[in-house]
Amino acid sequence: MVRAQARVLWRTRGRCVEEHRIWGDAVIIRLETVTKRYPNGHVALDDVSLTIPRGEFVFVVGPSGAGKSSLIRLLYHEEVPTSGEVYVDQFRLGRLRRGQVPRLRRLLGVVFQDVRLLPDRDVYHNVAFAMQVVEASPRDIKKRVPQMLELVGLQARSHHFPHQLSGGEQQRVGLARALVNNPHYLLADEPTGNLDPETAEGIVKLLSEINRRGATVVMATHARDIVNRMNRRVLAIEGGRLVRDDARGRYEEEGPARTTWLSTVSHEA
Amino acid sequence: MGYFWREAARGVRHTGWMSVASVLTVSVALFVLGVFGVLSINLEHAANALNRQVELQAYFKPSMKPAAEHAFLAALKHEPGVRRVIFVSKTQALGQLKKEFPHDTTLWQLISQGNPLLDGFQVYTKQPRQIPPLARTLRKSPDVGQVVYQATVVSRLTVVTRILRTGGYVVEALLAFATLFIIANTIRLGVFARRREIAVMKLVGATDWFIRWPFLLEGIYLGLMGAVLASAAVIVGYHWVFHTAAHVVAFFPLAGVSVIERSTMETTGVGGVAVGLLGSLWALRRFLRV
Ligand SMILES: Nc1ncnc2c1ncn2[C@@H]1O[C@H](COP(=O)(O)OP(=O)(O)O)[C@@H](O)[C@H]1O
Ligand SMILES: [Mg+2]
Repeated sequence: MVRAQARVLWRTRGRCVEEHRIWGDAVIIRLETVTKRYPNGHVALDDVSLTIPRGEFVFVVGPSGAGKSSLIRLLYHEEVPTSGEVYVDQFRLGRLRRGQVPRLRRLLGVVFQDVRLLPDRDVYHNVAFAMQVVEASPRDIKKRVPQMLELVGLQARSHHFPHQLSGGEQQRVGLARALVNNPHYLLADEPTGNLDPETAEGIVKLLSEINRRGATVVMATHARDIVNRMNRRVLAIEGGRLVRDDARGRYEEEGPARTTWLSTVSHEA
Repeated sequence: MGYFWREAARGVRHTGWMSVASVLTVSVALFVLGVFGVLSINLEHAANALNRQVELQAYFKPSMKPAAEHAFLAALKHEPGVRRVIFVSKTQALGQLKKEFPHDTTLWQLISQGNPLLDGFQVYTKQPRQIPPLARTLRKSPDVGQVVYQATVVSRLTVVTRILRTGGYVVEALLAFATLFIIANTIRLGVFARRREIAVMKLVGATDWFIRWPFLLEGIYLGLMGAVLASAAVIVGYHWVFHTAAHVVAFFPLAGVSVIERSTMETTGVGGVAVGLLGSLWALRRFLRV
C-alpha cells in the first residue's frame, strides 16, 4: 500500500520533471499551484501558478502585504512553499538538497527589499564580499567591483559604511552586489523603493540593459510610472492570489472598475 | 586561504573576552596534560634506569685485597641460584659515573681528588625470589661492606606509573570535555554575533564549508594559543625543577630537559589543535539554516 503510493508519487514527480523539460529551455521559472502559509497561519500566497520564459522582464505589482516579497523569497529558496512546486532553472526547489542551494543561488542576483548590507563593511567590501563568497580571484574582484560601483553611480562612496549612506544609496549598493557575479536571473524586490524618480529611472534603465543582455528579470514594485512606461509583462497579486497576468501590462487594470485598491498603493512603502 | 585566516582573526576580535577565557581554559587543560606527560616520562625514565641496574649489587670492604676478592667471587659463582657474577672495579665504577653525569662539576671536583668508590660486584640470580636470601647471606659475610637490591623498587615504580596513567586519562577526559565545551561556546557566540552576515553570505551563494572554515580556524587558533601558554609554563617549570633537583639530590634520575621540551610541545600542540577543531565542529554541527 505504502509502496504503491510511493510509486505513484515517484511517477508524478518524474512527470513534473519531464514536463519541465518539455517546456525546455524556454521556461526558466515556474510556479505550480503554490500556496505559502507562514507558521502563524497567515496565507501569503494562495494557489499561484505562473511561468516566466527565459529572458523575460516581469513586473510583480500589488498593494503592500499582497505577497510580492513572499513570491520572490520562494524563488531564491529563503522560504519553501507549503504546497505546490517551484522550479527555477534546472532546480526543483521543493526537493532541493542542502548542497544544491548554493548552486541555485549562484545563478541568481537578489536585491532584497530590506537591502541587507553588512554594517561593519564599507561599500566596496559589501560588493566584493559577494565575489569572495563564490571564490572569485582577488584580481577579478579588484577589477570588477569598481566597475559595478560606477554602474550604480557610487564609485565616490566606496569607503563609506552603510550607515553613512541614504536609503537610496544603500539600495544601489544592494543592486551592485546582486549584479557583480553576472547572474542569469535578477530578482529585485522593490529596488526603487527609496529612490527619487530620476535615480529610480536610472536603475530601471540598468535593469532593462541587463535584461537585454540575456538575464531574466523579476521586479516587484510599487512604481506605477515605471511600470506604465516600460510596457512589459505585469503580474498583479492581490491578497496572495494572482489576479492578472498581462503580457504588455500597465500598473492598473484597463478600465475604471478595479482601481480601488490601486489608488491606495502609491501611499504605501 | 588568506580570506579564511582574515575572517578567523576577525572572529577572535569579535568574541574578545570569551576568546581570552577559552584560551586560558585550554591552556590549563593542556598544562595538566603536560604535567602528566612530564611525570610519566620521568617515572619511565627512573624505572628504566633502575632496570638497567643489576638485580643485586654489593661492595667489598675497603680492606679487601684484589686476590681475595677474586677468590670470593669464584666461590660465589657456585652458590645455588646464582646465574652470573660480574666484577666491577672502582676504576670502572668511576668511569660509569663520569658517563652518567658528564656535566656535574661538583662531582668532578670531588672525584678528581682521588677515587672514593669501592670495588664491587653484580649478581644475577636465576629467579628474582632468590635475591633476598642471597642478600641476607652476603650481608653476613665479613668481606662484604654493603648490599643493595632494587627489585621491589622497580616493580613499585611500574605500579605507580600505571596508576598515574589511568588517573591521567580520567582527569584529562574531564578537562577535555570542559575545554570542548568552552571552545564550542566561544565559537557559537561568534556564529551568533555574525548571524546576519552568515545569512547574507548564504543568500549570495556561499557553501556551508565556506562559512565553516573561518570558525574552524578560529577554534584551532584558540587551541594553539592555549598550547603555547601551557607548554611554556610546563617547560619553564621543568627547567626549575630540574636545576633545583640537581642541587638537592645530585643523583636523582630525572629525564633530560630537551626530551621533556620536545614531548611537551608535541602533546600540547596536538592536544590544542584537536580540542580546537573538535570544539568548533561541535559548535557548527547544526548552525543557522537559511
Ligand atoms: N515571515 C512571515 N510570517 C508571517 N507572516 C508573514 C511573514 N512574511 C510576510 N508575512 C505576511 O504575509 C503577507 C504578504 O507579505 P509580503 O510577501 O511581504 O507582501 P508584499 O511584499 O507584497 O508587501 C503580509 O500580510 C505579511 O504580513
Ligand atoms: Mg514586500
